[in-house]
Amino acid sequence: MSAWKWSIALMGFGAAAAGATADYLNEVKPLLTQHCVGCHGADQQKGGLRLDTAGAARTGGDSGPALIPGNPGDSLLLQLIEGTHAVLPQMPYRRVPLPKVHVEALRRWIAQGAEAPADEPSGRWVHWAFVPPRRPAIPPMEETGGRHPNPIDAFIAARLREEALPLSLEADRSTLLRRLHLDLTGLPPSPEQLDAFLRDPRPEAYECRVDELLHSPHYGERWGRWWLDVARYADSNGYSIDAPRSMWLWRDWVIQAFNDNKPFDEFVIEQIAGDLLPDATLAQRIATGFHRNTQINEEGGIDPEQFRVESIIDRVNTTGTAFLGITLGCAQCHDHKFDPISQKEYFQLFAFFNDQEEPTLSVPTPEEKARLENHQAAVRNLEQQLAELESAADEDAEKARGKLREQLEKLKRRKPSVTTTLVLAERSEPRESYVFIKGDFTRRGPDVSPGTPAVLHPLAAALHAGDRGTGDELQSTRRPNRLDLARWLVDPCNPLTARVLINRVWQQYFGRGLVETENDFGTQGSLPSHPELLDWLATEWLARDWNLRAMHRLIVTSRTYRQTSRARRELEEKDPLNRLLARQNRLRLDAEVIRDVALVASGKLNPEIGGPGVFPPQPDGVMNLGQVRRPWKTSEEGDRYRRGLYTFYWRATPYPALAVFDAPDAFSTCTRRARSNTPLQALTLLNDSAFVEVAVALAERVRKACDDAGERLDLAFRLCLAREPSAAERGRLESLLEEENRDHGEAAAWQTVARVLLNLDETITRE
Amino acid sequence: MNLSGDPHLVSITRRHFFSRCSLGLGSIALASLLDPQRLRAATSSGAHPLAPKTGHLTGRARNVIYLFMAGGPSQLELFDYKPRLAALNGQIIPDSYLEGKRFAFMDSSFKNKSTLLGSKRQFRAYGQSGMYVSELFPHTARIVDDVTFIRTCATDVFNHAPAKLFMNTGSSQFGRPSMGAWITYGIGSEADNLPGFVVLQSGPRGPRGGAVNWGSGFLPTSFQGVPLRAQGEPILNLTTPEGLNAERQRRAISAINDLNLQRLIATGDPEIATRIAAYEMAYRMQTSAPEAMDLKGESDATLKLYGADRDKPSFARNCLLARRLVERGVRFVQLYHTNWDSHGGPGENLEDDFEKVCHDVDEGQAALVTDLKARGLLDETLVVWGGEFGRTPMGESREKTGRNHHIEAFTMWLAGGGVKAGFVHGETDELGFGPVNDRVHVHDLHATVLHLLGVDHERLTFRFQGRDFRLTDVAGNVVHRILA
Repeated sequence: MSAWKWSIALMGFGAAAAGATADYLNEVKPLLTQHCVGCHGADQQKGGLRLDTAGAARTGGDSGPALIPGNPGDSLLLQLIEGTHAVLPQMPYRRVPLPKVHVEALRRWIAQGAEAPADEPSGRWVHWAFVPPRRPAIPPMEETGGRHPNPIDAFIAARLREEALPLSLEADRSTLLRRLHLDLTGLPPSPEQLDAFLRDPRPEAYECRVDELLHSPHYGERWGRWWLDVARYADSNGYSIDAPRSMWLWRDWVIQAFNDNKPFDEFVIEQIAGDLLPDATLAQRIATGFHRNTQINEEGGIDPEQFRVESIIDRVNTTGTAFLGITLGCAQCHDHKFDPISQKEYFQLFAFFNDQEEPTLSVPTPEEKARLENHQAAVRNLEQQLAELESAADEDAEKARGKLREQLEKLKRRKPSVTTTLVLAERSEPRESYVFIKGDFTRRGPDVSPGTPAVLHPLAAALHAGDRGTGDELQSTRRPNRLDLARWLVDPCNPLTARVLINRVWQQYFGRGLVETENDFGTQGSLPSHPELLDWLATEWLARDWNLRAMHRLIVTSRTYRQTSRARRELEEKDPLNRLLARQNRLRLDAEVIRDVALVASGKLNPEIGGPGVFPPQPDGVMNLGQVRRPWKTSEEGDRYRRGLYTFYWRATPYPALAVFDAPDAFSTCTRRARSNTPLQALTLLNDSAFVEVAVALAERVRKACDDAGERLDLAFRLCLAREPSAAERGRLESLLEEENRDHGEAAAWQTVARVLLNLDETITRE
Repeated sequence: MNLSGDPHLVSITRRHFFSRCSLGLGSIALASLLDPQRLRAATSSGAHPLAPKTGHLTGRARNVIYLFMAGGPSQLELFDYKPRLAALNGQIIPDSYLEGKRFAFMDSSFKNKSTLLGSKRQFRAYGQSGMYVSELFPHTARIVDDVTFIRTCATDVFNHAPAKLFMNTGSSQFGRPSMGAWITYGIGSEADNLPGFVVLQSGPRGPRGGAVNWGSGFLPTSFQGVPLRAQGEPILNLTTPEGLNAERQRRAISAINDLNLQRLIATGDPEIATRIAAYEMAYRMQTSAPEAMDLKGESDATLKLYGADRDKPSFARNCLLARRLVERGVRFVQLYHTNWDSHGGPGENLEDDFEKVCHDVDEGQAALVTDLKARGLLDETLVVWGGEFGRTPMGESREKTGRNHHIEAFTMWLAGGGVKAGFVHGETDELGFGPVNDRVHVHDLHATVLHLLGVDHERLTFRFQGRDFRLTDVAGNVVHRILA
């Protein structure tokens, strides 16, 4: 059994039972490995002592047992680490003493009896996530209904069998269709789509919907937004001044990349280093906007170098979180306290991102191009006229030249503006990079050059890949650049990237990743609930050449995904947090999708894709909250009803209806949105003029569509919830309608019904 | 509430749900159609993220009113009396003071940074405690016997937006929770029909950085500060849409909650119980927030004490509102007043502009302490006063006189809530440049405020991106000497 598998096997399901051993594996072993095993392990046994297993520690070395279970005070190990021993020097010898948290973890472990697994192998120990995934065997599974079993279900069911739990039944077809539409496109199904699906007798009806939706242009919007969170995308510069920026071309590039099903390794490489690809296309240069989504500080009196450094630090930390799922940021001021990342290695990564310029790329639209060409022609024309007059020396010619020069100046100043986007470009001369002492950019430590952490796979393969066909294959001593880093990130040997990313895809579908700490796969992160499934998914993705659409299809066609989300009594005792997935989870919709659902229900949605940010109605006074009052000219006509992801996002004064539903703040990378549930959300859905406007439109829509009150209720219900109301629900709505009709008339009554429906928990939830 | 982030809450709520189920939640549902009180009782337990909780320790203070002087007021014109600096006016500051120090505007307007500027303001010792206050704060001078001055506050960052963030969140990085968010996360709020953390603003412009100053960062949004606006709707979207009255709003909310309750029964998802509670709270807020903001019931004498007008927005009016909010159980009220950024440029000089901003706040802040004390609320309400940093002893010449940002030492004051009355903590050198003893770093101030509320700053943590975060980062010592 490999080391990591062994550690997983020990992870009992009941947290209490596994408490003591979990402490050893999660807290004690990593710190002994990091601080002690170098001198007291398989390679060296200074003082005759080994600390690579708990058993060896108990046996001890020349000075006797290193620890006495249950008695931390008399344990040599603790005395030496704390430096309280009368004779022997403090450990680690001549190095920085262990942090207090580590000492306390050790003390707790010894006090609790120093328990450790009996079959602990000796030798070098590596945290599971730093060992590349190996393809696990698929557990056996019975065929169901003649369908080929989905390997996902095999893994999930195998784990559930250990708890004697069956999977839940499939959700009813309306729930299933709404879930699928919302998950793949962020838009609910229309009543027509619902009817067509409910009437479709084919056994593969569901799979057909999956394929259609995965090829819908709205798929790119839904999953593009998922990536915008990671990229900390916004339409303004942030900090206090928060000037607007033009970045939507990059956002549209992301949407297009998803719709093109760009293999994910290319997707990553182009964003990190598209500009360095041979014969980089315009699109590949636009892609490097990923790391230009950092904030820009324009406050008076600042030290610009400080904020250039801040943005690079953000790029390093974001790269760590987004692709590697490790908390690199912890190594900015000191060596990482828990994971094997040194401060020097942090600044080696920093060096990759320190060699860039940060230009603004002009990308004129065809109309802009035409305008630009006209302007250039006019300039050329004037210049030619000037040249023709050049030789003449009389007074009239001088006068004419003066006039022409003036015109030319004026014309040049009126150069038509064109669409721009922020990109990265490599400097001709690399900057020198240093370790910053305690992370402070004013305190330079030793020089560093670009490099990757030693605990992960070597950079060499990426370097060779970069040199292939150039004749320089053997000169891998050249200075690595951002492109090498990008290739290293998606190198098949990388133990982290595929696992981390597929885990976050999984999280979108179930509300929680297989590794719950989706941004920390390090030793402080949680262990995977289904380690084999995680590795199977990661290896499967690579085997399918990073085809993300294929992975989506695999997940959403699984029985696991298709289960009902209803609570089950026996699960409340055995698995209250539903980690084992014996049912689906109800998930509150993302902020943007809450808007989209209301727009679709009312028939107001403008489904146009891409383009500059738009300004839907928002309450008065929002823009007063920033330091600089920014404009908000409410969009009219079509742009008023665009999808939520196109709403112009000011970092300092974000659109309130998005912020209140936990849209990320775009200050740093966001790999998992919060799902809060607050009175301010209720006030937004009840009273915000944008939602009231939509409710009025929904009321009009159902009143126009049919005459019968019952039919209208059914239609309104289906528009919001994609299902029929129950008798009780219908009864409650009918009594509301009656009261309102009596007091305020028919039109008003239907508006109230529409408001109620748009406010329902179920309307803003994916069941 | 982020139930998924709190396993304990989830299990409680689920247990609650299932025990209800076995009693027949259906009958409760039916009953609730007639009786919203019962519905509330059936769904509220465990569903309020802001329900009051006990801290780690016994706290002295229940609530906090934080008067944030945005821009960085000059301690040398207000509290830190330096006759020696006045005597050395115009002379060059010794290099030893400046070595290794960084300042804002180093490249432009702060070129003659080495010329000392004495204050032109008159100082006098006031009260039994004999604490020095300048002529610019005649009202504040009268409350010194209820106040602790900390003359040796220090921070790490010298630009406004990062320094404000640092003062509010303990970090100059965006995305961290503010003090009010940490506190309501830690001990909830006693207000069940108002937000637990409220922000009021006055002055010519909003504070730099805007909403991040009262943001909840990585904590759930339930804990972020809610700005109450001085005019118009006090809270965004608080007003029932045009054409609807309270009765119709109630009718709609009742229908929403009844339908949600049916869904709760069908799905067993405790998040729906939270949402029902949220709608009830929203409904109550629609009445209670305007009521809290309406000064009709305040006597003329009270308004006169504050120097406030019933309707006209002002810092003084916000001080009175702050008292009303803590009376209603709001845990953390933060007032922002601009503009204290006295560089010497237009609107920012240390002459008439400074006098104006002092006048803006003096009467209201003094009245707040006096009023709280008279009503027996000062013991349980901690009042904090200060900016994001102070100003340099060296002058800055733009159009008129000014001073640059200064992070080495500046004055803040605290009153009530378990701090000493009539006490001065810390002393600065003869130029007022740095502390000679008892330096109080922002992290120490945070640790102390939390301590006064009964919260151990080392134990109030939240795990984010693989690390347990605190308001005090990895530092902070409670300033025991200022505790009463």
